[in-house]
Amino acid sequence: MSELLQFLVSGLTVGAIYAAIALGFTLIYNASGVVNFAQGEFVVIGGMTAAALIGAGVPVWIAAPLAVVAGMLVGVALYRAAIRPAREAPLVSLIIITIGASIFLRGAMQAVFDKQIHRYDGFSGDAPLRVGGATILPQSLWIIGGSIAVFAFLAWFLNRTRAGRGIKATASNRMAAALVGINTGRAMNLSFALSAAIGALAGVLATPVTFTSYDVGVLMALKGFSATMLGGVGSPLGALAGGLLIGLIEAMTAGYISSDYKDASAFVVILLVLFLRPQGLFGARITERV
Amino acid sequence: MHDPLLSIEGLRTAYGPIEVLHGVDLIVNEGEIVSLVGANGAGKTTLMRCISGVQPVKAGAIRLAGEDLTRRPDHARAGLGIAHSPEGRQIFGDLSVAENLRLGGYHRTDDLGADLEEVYGLFPILRDKAALPAGGLSGGQQQMLAIGRAIMGRPKLMLLDEPSMGLAPVLVDQVLAVVKSLRDRGVTLLMVEQNAYAALSIADRGYVMEQGEITLSGAASELIADPRIREAYLGA
Ligand SMILES: Nc1ncnc2c1ncn2[C@@H]1O[C@H](COP(=O)(O)OP(=O)(O)O)[C@@H](O)[C@H]1O
Ligand SMILES: [Mg+2]
Repeated sequence: MSELLQFLVSGLTVGAIYAAIALGFTLIYNASGVVNFAQGEFVVIGGMTAAALIGAGVPVWIAAPLAVVAGMLVGVALYRAAIRPAREAPLVSLIIITIGASIFLRGAMQAVFDKQIHRYDGFSGDAPLRVGGATILPQSLWIIGGSIAVFAFLAWFLNRTRAGRGIKATASNRMAAALVGINTGRAMNLSFALSAAIGALAGVLATPVTFTSYDVGVLMALKGFSATMLGGVGSPLGALAGGLLIGLIEAMTAGYISSDYKDASAFVVILLVLFLRPQGLFGARITERV
Repeated sequence: MHDPLLSIEGLRTAYGPIEVLHGVDLIVNEGEIVSLVGANGAGKTTLMRCISGVQPVKAGAIRLAGEDLTRRPDHARAGLGIAHSPEGRQIFGDLSVAENLRLGGYHRTDDLGADLEEVYGLFPILRDKAALPAGGLSGGQQQMLAIGRAIMGRPKLMLLDEPSMGLAPVLVDQVLAVVKSLRDRGVTLLMVEQNAYAALSIADRGYVMEQGEITLSGAASELIADPRIREAYLGA
């Protein structure tokens, strides 16, 4: 029983990180239709920047927001330097550009930071809490709470604010969005900025538990992308559910079977779901345009 | 002297290296319904796209009530009073019918409730389907949605590109009645219509476009009677 609880806690912690990455994917996808393969690099930029600042003696409550801002600036730079100049290109080209950008960013981080593995102390210390026979790191609560907050923010932002509706409309039909008066360039810019900030936040929150180094972004992006597919591309609720579910499946497989199989079991579940429900758990069914 | 609501002078535009409008002149006065007639590929849609700004202009000028629009970005034009119901409807397929309509009023800061009611009054089927994804509507319903979305912008000038495309004959009459009622409420309309006879019969004036140039213009009643038009576009 306490064993199950323990696996649940670690599954939810890892799953919340995947969920935050998936939410970042969702935002850019919602604005542009682009699947941004550099999303994992935002996570690393957040973690590495926070680690470097904290290592230099900056208090965590200053270092964490600065790291998020650093991620956001890189997101805007990515949009302006690589995506915007090519925005008339087919979607596939844009997606390949993001793959190129992720390789470039990985190289840049090696140069700006280093090739070491980094971590810093959890925000509320590293003394585990005991709950019903399981131990929880206080940082796990930060991670889970952070992901839920990001989800709530996005759901509110996309549906209840003017800028958010502009992003949704831009993704749905860019020309029609321009015709009704939406500045589609600004909508895309904003979505890259927010998405990068969300990714960086995930990195800042996760690093005390998962550690970080310049090259973990690829794996992060892969997990976040799987969560997006499982939950349904474009749906914030799907991103949250997909991330948590993959985290749980991995933790249960690692706990009860073997950690050798955790990636494979997550994949099997994803394939199964997509086979039965191609639009993912919460994705809108793609409607035919007559 | 009063400026026309829309005046276009010497307009040229190209898709890549291929110029498709070769110096178009056209005027729409306030309160008019003006019909633009021409064969497929003449450049009617392209002209509409230039007016609403989604197609860049190579040379010439577009003025709205005397103000030069030519270099204003596309997204600024809704706020200046232009609403465009484009060819092929271009609805937001994955958003709900109600969201589509509300987006039509995106540039406005006042309350949209009354206009939403007005659109539902004109097209009751849209009220029944308000919560459904717009992509699931039939072609005719999507056309009504595209017109309704333009109405939500409260424009001075409405551009309608083939508003009766794909509609059953009874719906064509309904759409044309809506067009007339919009004019009665002070909206000025520039309309492209496959059904040239129907379009000219509710219009004040008309222009004929051939291969990127205006070749004929005049009062709608004269154009309907013109043997050249009757032969080329009215199937007479
Ligand atoms: N997106 C486009 N790219 C290239 N050529 C185009 C495009 N759209 C229209 N054209 C060409 O421009 C000309 C005018 O087309 P269009 O404005 O759609 O005419 P109409 O609306 O009168 O049928 C045609 O020769 C058409 O082939
Ligand atoms: Mg056309």
